[in-house]
Amino acid sequence: MTGQQPRPLVVVGAGIAGITAALEAAEAGREVVLVERDASVGGRVLRNHHYFPKLCPPSCGMEINTGRLERNPRVRVVTRARVTGCRESDGGYEVTIAHAPAWVNERCTACGACSSVCPAKVKDAFNLEMAEVPAVRLPHPNAWPKRFVLDRQACPEGCHACKDVCTYGAIDLDAEERTETVHAGAVVVATGWDPYPLERLPELGGGLSPDVIANVHMERMAAPAGPTGGKILRPSDQQPPKRVAFVQCAGSRDVNHLAYCSAVCCLASLKQAIYVKEQLPDALVTIYYIDRRTPGRNEEMLTRVAAMEGVRLVKGKVAKVEPRDGVLALRVEDVEGGRIVHAEADLVVLATGMVPSLGAGAGLFGLASDDDGFGVEKPGVAVAGVVHRPEDVAASVRDATGAAARACVAAGRRA
Amino acid sequence: MAAIPTLLPSHDFREALRRRGGEAASRCYQCATCSGVCELAPDEAPFPRRLMLWAQWGLADRLAADPAVWLCHQCNDCTVHCPRDAKPGDVVQVIRALVIEKLAFPGFLGRLVGAARSSWPLLVGLPIAFWVVLLAATGHLAVPAGLPQNWAFEQLVPHLLIYSVFFPAAGWAMLAAWVSGRRFWGLLTANSPGKGSFLAGLAPALGEVATHKRFGTCGAAKPREFGHLTLMWGFVGAAVTSGLLIVGIYIQHLAMPLALTHPYKILGNLSAVLLVIGAGVLVANRLGGGVKAGASTAFDTYFLTVVVLVITTGVLSEVARLSLTAEFALAVYIAHLGLVLCLFLTFPYSKFAHLLYRSLAMVHERGSQAQAPSA
Repeated sequence: MTGQQPRPLVVVGAGIAGITAALEAAEAGREVVLVERDASVGGRVLRNHHYFPKLCPPSCGMEINTGRLERNPRVRVVTRARVTGCRESDGGYEVTIAHAPAWVNERCTACGACSSVCPAKVKDAFNLEMAEVPAVRLPHPNAWPKRFVLDRQACPEGCHACKDVCTYGAIDLDAEERTETVHAGAVVVATGWDPYPLERLPELGGGLSPDVIANVHMERMAAPAGPTGGKILRPSDQQPPKRVAFVQCAGSRDVNHLAYCSAVCCLASLKQAIYVKEQLPDALVTIYYIDRRTPGRNEEMLTRVAAMEGVRLVKGKVAKVEPRDGVLALRVEDVEGGRIVHAEADLVVLATGMVPSLGAGAGLFGLASDDDGFGVEKPGVAVAGVVHRPEDVAASVRDATGAAARACVAAGRRA
Repeated sequence: MAAIPTLLPSHDFREALRRRGGEAASRCYQCATCSGVCELAPDEAPFPRRLMLWAQWGLADRLAADPAVWLCHQCNDCTVHCPRDAKPGDVVQVIRALVIEKLAFPGFLGRLVGAARSSWPLLVGLPIAFWVVLLAATGHLAVPAGLPQNWAFEQLVPHLLIYSVFFPAAGWAMLAAWVSGRRFWGLLTANSPGKGSFLAGLAPALGEVATHKRFGTCGAAKPREFGHLTLMWGFVGAAVTSGLLIVGIYIQHLAMPLALTHPYKILGNLSAVLLVIGAGVLVANRLGGGVKAGASTAFDTYFLTVVVLVITTGVLSEVARLSLTAEFALAVYIAHLGLVLCLFLTFPYSKFAHLLYRSLAMVHERGSQAQAPSA
């Protein structure tokens, strides 16, 4: 390290964990390359309407983070990019990054002219495919970098309406993929998670009725920038539900699905019960649970929601949800009441868990995974966020700070 | 002020549960998925979750007094959906075996049959040996000379000898079953005083047993329902045939052996066909049914094996009489008599006793419903 610039860290994934790890390392003096697959940073956290326990929109916290990213010259953020190779080299890692073609480049001012002329519609990935958007659009209102994105494969043959209308020369329909190689001192893997698929839970109505949704869908429905403009509606008829049932541990703590507890779903459902009651004061909300896991100060949320009028907490895991004559029929044993409850609901929210998206990362970085598929660290490759262990936003931030420290130490030792 | 309920956990029960194949109960975390998926659980008294809790705690007295133990037909929907792989279907199956043992009269016979895993040679061998000794002592261990072409088993083993063994054996089994049944009924009615009229429940419960309606409700148990229903009617047919034969011999003075075209003979052979099909389906289901078939404990296997051997030796005896040597027929027949004696004597202690307990539990349930004001 005598006078020689230490090699940068490569942080994979720009969700809350990756951003935190990148910022902590950069603010400690490290060069960092933050690689994000999507067009903008923020990952799953930004898809929440509010986060617990403060119940504020995550966009303001994210603004602070993107501000830090903008001000810090040591972090280079590359979006629409993937790590395609990683090999140990000279005490560090030679990381290959593939940049998707820059069909919309940095000259974009997000004026929106292209969107207004675009003839093609695509499923809105940010809104979990609950809505359609033009093939060229801002990924979402709080997108950072504030730059449009184009789903090129959705373009009609020979169409160049967006290119023609753009007065900034920001659209290049012939752009090509390019790759770069970064000689990294260490890597932080923060590739996040995916919601457990609803279709795997047909006994709970998953995939059988549009009115059986997952907690992640409820977040988008409640969000003002979401597919319903922030209104909680039954997907089948776009009417406000009168009875909303939350099914906890849907496919979690279950050897037939995810064997572990995702650590956030109890609080997420309590939070979402508040969304429902704030919008629909007359709605009846029932939360069916095995255990109410609200550790630490989060217990205040439980006390608050349990005291709300028109909210019931029933101990018992829902065994069946069946679409029947336009409503959803639930079957569950009310354990404390000692009887089977045949309940009806207009909207069922399955509290599905988080599946670590270690994916190709395991092979690329030679990471092992534990019995549940979460990444296990090795020297020089730190793991942070939900790909590391099931945890909430606050814990992800702490986890990422630790990962940044470990990566800095590993890179320093190797440089 | 209400009395504080006292729980009396039995360490012995928990140990026995573990030893007899119910160790998965310890994995249960009381989520109640099992009760929710069970098609047989009554809305106001769902199971198996509470049985799992009591099993974990070793509350043997509560389990013995709970009709739910017997209302369960082990369709194993609960085991299939259990998020903890705690196998409620298998656990309740073991609980049933332990309740049979707990309520057995006299207790040591219950324990002996309960330990079928090691005691089976004694349970099967002793009755067969008894017949060998009895026939030797009375001079019937050899095929008599000058047997006609169309001989009857009576010419090898006199009917009187058979009656002298089986009437007392059946009487004993009924006495022991009656004592156990009284104990069980007392526990059932102690928990719900004034409820569960025996007479009111008897007819609807018998109707259900005859059709296996409840079995049919069990999602995962379809193959077993057919096998069990067939087997049960085979046994009923065989019992009726035996009764008719007594009438035939002593009132109608029919000559033995009956022709194959005689109605009694047809009924007997038809029953044998039902027994073979029913037992075959049940054995195939055990061997190939996976999780839904449930685990086979020694207690289950012992009973099913005795049933299969009774049927096999019975059918083989007839086949041997018609087409093989009389010596061979006699040997098979002695085994058959021994196995039937084994079935009789162990009826109140083996899995066969489910006939007693499940029927009583269903009578109690239906009787309670009949008395409920707005059932």
